[in-house]
Amino acid sequence: MPSRLSPLSPVYRALQRSTGLIVTAVVVAQTDMTRMVGGPLLVYALGGLAVAAVLGYELLYYRRFTYELTDDTLDIHSGVISRRDRELPYRRIQNVDISENTIQRLLGIAAVGLETAGGSSTEGSIRFVSANEARRLQREIQRRKRREQGEPDREPEPETELFALSPTELGLIGVLSFDLRVLGVLSLVGPGSIPFLSDTLEAPMALVGVLGGLLVLALLGSAWLLGIVVAVVNYYGFRLTRAEDELRYERGLFRRYTGSIPDEKVQALTIEDNPLKRYFGYATLKVETAGYSPGRGESRSSLVAIPIAKRARVEAVADRIEPLEPIEFDRPPTRVRRRYAARYLIVLGVLLAAAYGAVTYLGVTAPWYTLAGLAVGIPPAVHLKWRHRGVSVGDDHVITRNGVWLRTTKIVPYYRIQSVIDTRTIFQRRWGLATVSIDTAGTLSIVGQGAAAVDIDVETADTLRALLTDRLQAAILGRRQAVADHPSRWDPTSPETFEW
Amino acid sequence: MKQLHPRIQFVWVLRSAIFAAVLGAGLFAGHLVFDLPVWLAPAAAGLVVVLGLPFARLRYLKWGYEMREDALYLERGVLTEVRTVIPYVRIQHVDSRRNPIERAVGLASTVVYTAGSRGSDVRIPGLTDAGATDLRERLKELAILAGEEDAV
Repeated sequence: MPSRLSPLSPVYRALQRSTGLIVTAVVVAQTDMTRMVGGPLLVYALGGLAVAAVLGYELLYYRRFTYELTDDTLDIHSGVISRRDRELPYRRIQNVDISENTIQRLLGIAAVGLETAGGSSTEGSIRFVSANEARRLQREIQRRKRREQGEPDREPEPETELFALSPTELGLIGVLSFDLRVLGVLSLVGPGSIPFLSDTLEAPMALVGVLGGLLVLALLGSAWLLGIVVAVVNYYGFRLTRAEDELRYERGLFRRYTGSIPDEKVQALTIEDNPLKRYFGYATLKVETAGYSPGRGESRSSLVAIPIAKRARVEAVADRIEPLEPIEFDRPPTRVRRRYAARYLIVLGVLLAAAYGAVTYLGVTAPWYTLAGLAVGIPPAVHLKWRHRGVSVGDDHVITRNGVWLRTTKIVPYYRIQSVIDTRTIFQRRWGLATVSIDTAGTLSIVGQGAAAVDIDVETADTLRALLTDRLQAAILGRRQAVADHPSRWDPTSPETFEW
Repeated sequence: MKQLHPRIQFVWVLRSAIFAAVLGAGLFAGHLVFDLPVWLAPAAAGLVVVLGLPFARLRYLKWGYEMREDALYLERGVLTEVRTVIPYVRIQHVDSRRNPIERAVGLASTVVYTAGSRGSDVRIPGLTDAGATDLRERLKELAILAGEEDAV
């Protein structure tokens, strides 16, 4: 029994398409030119005709558009001028996403997008059906897809909530998301658009200074406020749920963004924090994926699973996604501290030389030697750099940690290792050190690096390299065993039966 | 541990000579346009060539690869030593290819691709034509043998 779009859809579509027309008509009607072509009335009449034509077209589109869930395909018949009949096999449908903006939500309608494997763009879209129908379609398609893959027909698993952003956390994102770019834009428009500023140019310098300071404060304040607004709009109602072997998230105040990541595409987890977040005990969780990401087809991406939350909560969610063993970081050998100290001293030496050069040759008068005071900062900096590095070799995961300002903890299941790369620079070799990078198919990061045990002892590196390769083989064998034990439940596209 | 074909040293020396020629030409142009000292061009080019010779030798001595039970192991690098382990099960595909210099001396390379983001392609240079084809075929077989797992 073929179904139709929501009866509201032609109205909405026509409005969507003709807003431009209406605005143009109104603007054109105001201009003098219209007198030459017969006055504003004619313009309105023409505009009205055009809008009517659009509405007519959309009504026809509505009449012609039907879709039907058959036994093994989703059939879509559409087209006003040229007809198009399409059959999408369920097994090829990777993802069904639902999007609705504010107006659509007021009208209770939603757009359904169908993404298929192989195609990078949305293969089919149904615009628009009622919000309930959209959810039913999503559920039905997933159910039929599973049935086709030989899985027992069952009710879809209810979603379990992994994480929901609390108002405090939403506020925190806002407070912390101070965007310097906004400041740049504001300072461009700022001074010119404030009329009193040009008068003050003749005022005493002190007054100008005070006003300038106030202006800067105002700019900073508004950049901050804007950051808060943007964060609230983007992250309002952030939820991370798990159901049907995938992670789902939704967020957004006016426009709801939703997305999902099948479990088997998760490559690694990243926990990030910085000194401020560490001090207050907060952290961020990201999920790194490969192969498929909603809306972008085949790609690598990093999904923010938890924008910000107390560390314990972050770790609990990470544990739900990838059951973790207790983490015990092995720090690099203490001699790396001497190496870092030497490195910082060299940098400081170069700075001092540059400052001395500037004083001597460029005639800058400044007490250049005060820079040497920075040396006081070297021991704590060295210690922190060493303290925050580490690698933890667990039963199922290898976990690395690096960075002081942006500390990233990467959790890589052995099963996801693509290759192991051990590098030793000429300087590292002097200290008997090596860096072991664990490559996964996850996000290509331009800044920073993937999982890596940095500056570990060469012997530890040799052991780690061998161990990682062995654990990968064992993980693959274990996975095959799991498949052999439950062949009926095995499905290559959703290895849900496998637990890490 | 297998070594590369010794003739690869010639390829590397030739490459540094080409680099030296380009560098020399650039510096000579700099002499004509920006008044750089005239001796800079031959000096820099000469230095590159002189350093290039022992460097190619060291590089050759340091290069090695091994087909282990379940992974391809490579060792290379003069200033930075790099040891890479690529499990056969992670090999996406294998190419053999020859660039013009390699063709001139009758050598070829085999390139191994994984789905990884960092070491996603690893090149083994300095193989004979037959050797490259043979290595490609063997790696392909090992990759197939290692499993039908989806690689990502």
